[in-house]
Amino acid sequence: MSVPTARAATPARPVPARAPVPGPHPAVRSGVSTTAGVVVLLVAAEVLGRTGVLGPSWPPLSDVVTYLGEPARRETVLRAASATVASAGRGLLAGVLAAAAAAAVGLLLPPLRPGLDRLAAILHAVPVIALAPLLITTVGREQTPTVVAGLGAGFVMFVAFSSGLGPAGRASTHDDVFTALGANRWRRLLRLQLPGAVPTVLDGLTLAAPAAVLGATIGEWFGAPRGLGVLIVSAMQNFQTTLLWSAAGCATLLSLAAYGLTTAAQRLAVRRVS
Amino acid sequence: MSRTTPALAPDAPPILEQTRGAISLSGVGRSFALGRGRTVTALEELDLEIADGEFVAIVGPSGCGKSTVLRMVAGLDVPTTGTVAVEGRSPRELARSHRLGVAFQEHALLPWASVRANVALPFRLAGRPVDRARVDGLLDLVGLAGFEGARPRQLSGGMRQRAAIARALVLEPDVLLLDEPFGALDAVTRRRMNKELARIWAEQRITTLLVTHDVEEALFLADRVVVMSGRPGRVRHVHQVGLARPRDSSVTRSEEFHEAVDLLTGLLDAESPAP
Repeated sequence: MSVPTARAATPARPVPARAPVPGPHPAVRSGVSTTAGVVVLLVAAEVLGRTGVLGPSWPPLSDVVTYLGEPARRETVLRAASATVASAGRGLLAGVLAAAAAAAVGLLLPPLRPGLDRLAAILHAVPVIALAPLLITTVGREQTPTVVAGLGAGFVMFVAFSSGLGPAGRASTHDDVFTALGANRWRRLLRLQLPGAVPTVLDGLTLAAPAAVLGATIGEWFGAPRGLGVLIVSAMQNFQTTLLWSAAGCATLLSLAAYGLTTAAQRLAVRRVS
Repeated sequence: MSRTTPALAPDAPPILEQTRGAISLSGVGRSFALGRGRTVTALEELDLEIADGEFVAIVGPSGCGKSTVLRMVAGLDVPTTGTVAVEGRSPRELARSHRLGVAFQEHALLPWASVRANVALPFRLAGRPVDRARVDGLLDLVGLAGFEGARPRQLSGGMRQRAAIARALVLEPDVLLLDEPFGALDAVTRRRMNKELARIWAEQRITTLLVTHDVEEALFLADRVVVMSGRPGRVRHVHQVGLARPRDSSVTRSEEFHEAVDLLTGLLDAESPAP
């Protein structure tokens, strides 16, 4: 607000509702505050580890970094990470394809839609730990991480595809125009529903990609030959606290990277589509 | 009550074939279920004939069912009683053969497509090769030359509506349906758009049904103005517009125009006695 002066006796000029705030661009400010938040967290983790108030299972962060500084150990963690990335990637792809196929069936055969919704919800509600023995005997230890990743990503993507392609996904005036112009079902799908679903589907992808990383890591717990999940289990059983934190930190970074990449893609698409 | 006008007045455009109606509604009623067994009657015993090449405007208070009439002619809604025929066929058939042009209050342009792609959309939906010259010619006609590559969000409200009207006209439809196409625009832009629509219509002479709540807009554009009363919607009065074409803004300053505006505005008030 302007400070009242002697000239305030004349009718005050209206103050713009959103006066330009001096200082850096909003994007820069948001980046600065995000970085500040991360730094505070990292410093807190380090201090907690140094003081040792949480016991020997919480090492200082710098110990983890030093641990990973050694090439042989770094090699171990990175090899495990690449196995997890491969499983997560395959699982994400399979989940996206399966979800797209299921959503397409629901779109083309509307009577099947409620059944598909319920099946997806039930599949999602079954705890992975209960599915694990079943998966190990059917798809094997090698493929279990991929399947668990696919299940996690697939459900999110099914919801995203269904709501993106569904009638609620578009303003009805568009539908009216397409009907009045005599569009058949296929051309309506191609020219209206699919482009309109892109932001919602990519929204789903920002959730599905980290879910796939998490699913692959959990899937590896059930006896996969390699991966971050395997590393976490064996580090835990051998009291290798620093290795455990290295693997867990690596899994977190992978998840964040997956989220960051898909969010960037989503933003780009929204700008293009709206 | 529901007075019908089967024949046109002699001062209607002479080039028209007046033997059969291009659009014909007879005994049309429409009721909507409200749930718990209750229904509301939106339209009752509505008769309306629109001749080939005629411009008819429907005015009425909000909720009188005038948009429902247009939706039924577009094949987007079906009457509960009575029949709606366009060129002797069902409206759905006309839509499916891509002979219908529509523009609504919401422009409903595809946000991800350029203005040119939006205007070319009817060609694609009809499975026909896009006639680029026709699209560009129409964009020129509606005053959007130079904006072919722009996205809808980069345009003003008036420009979006002009693009929507170009899209409605691009396939040279048999019937043009306009539902408050300028309803969301400010008064000045609206008057300008009316002038432009009158100019465009004069070049094409397509059978047109316009739904509006603006009496001046209806009188300026139409050959006949149908005044509807509300709940249930019926035809209250049909006014033959005697203004000569082509019309420009000087028409709106004439005595005849003002008298007609006063008459029809009075009729919009349900309490006033019928003429």
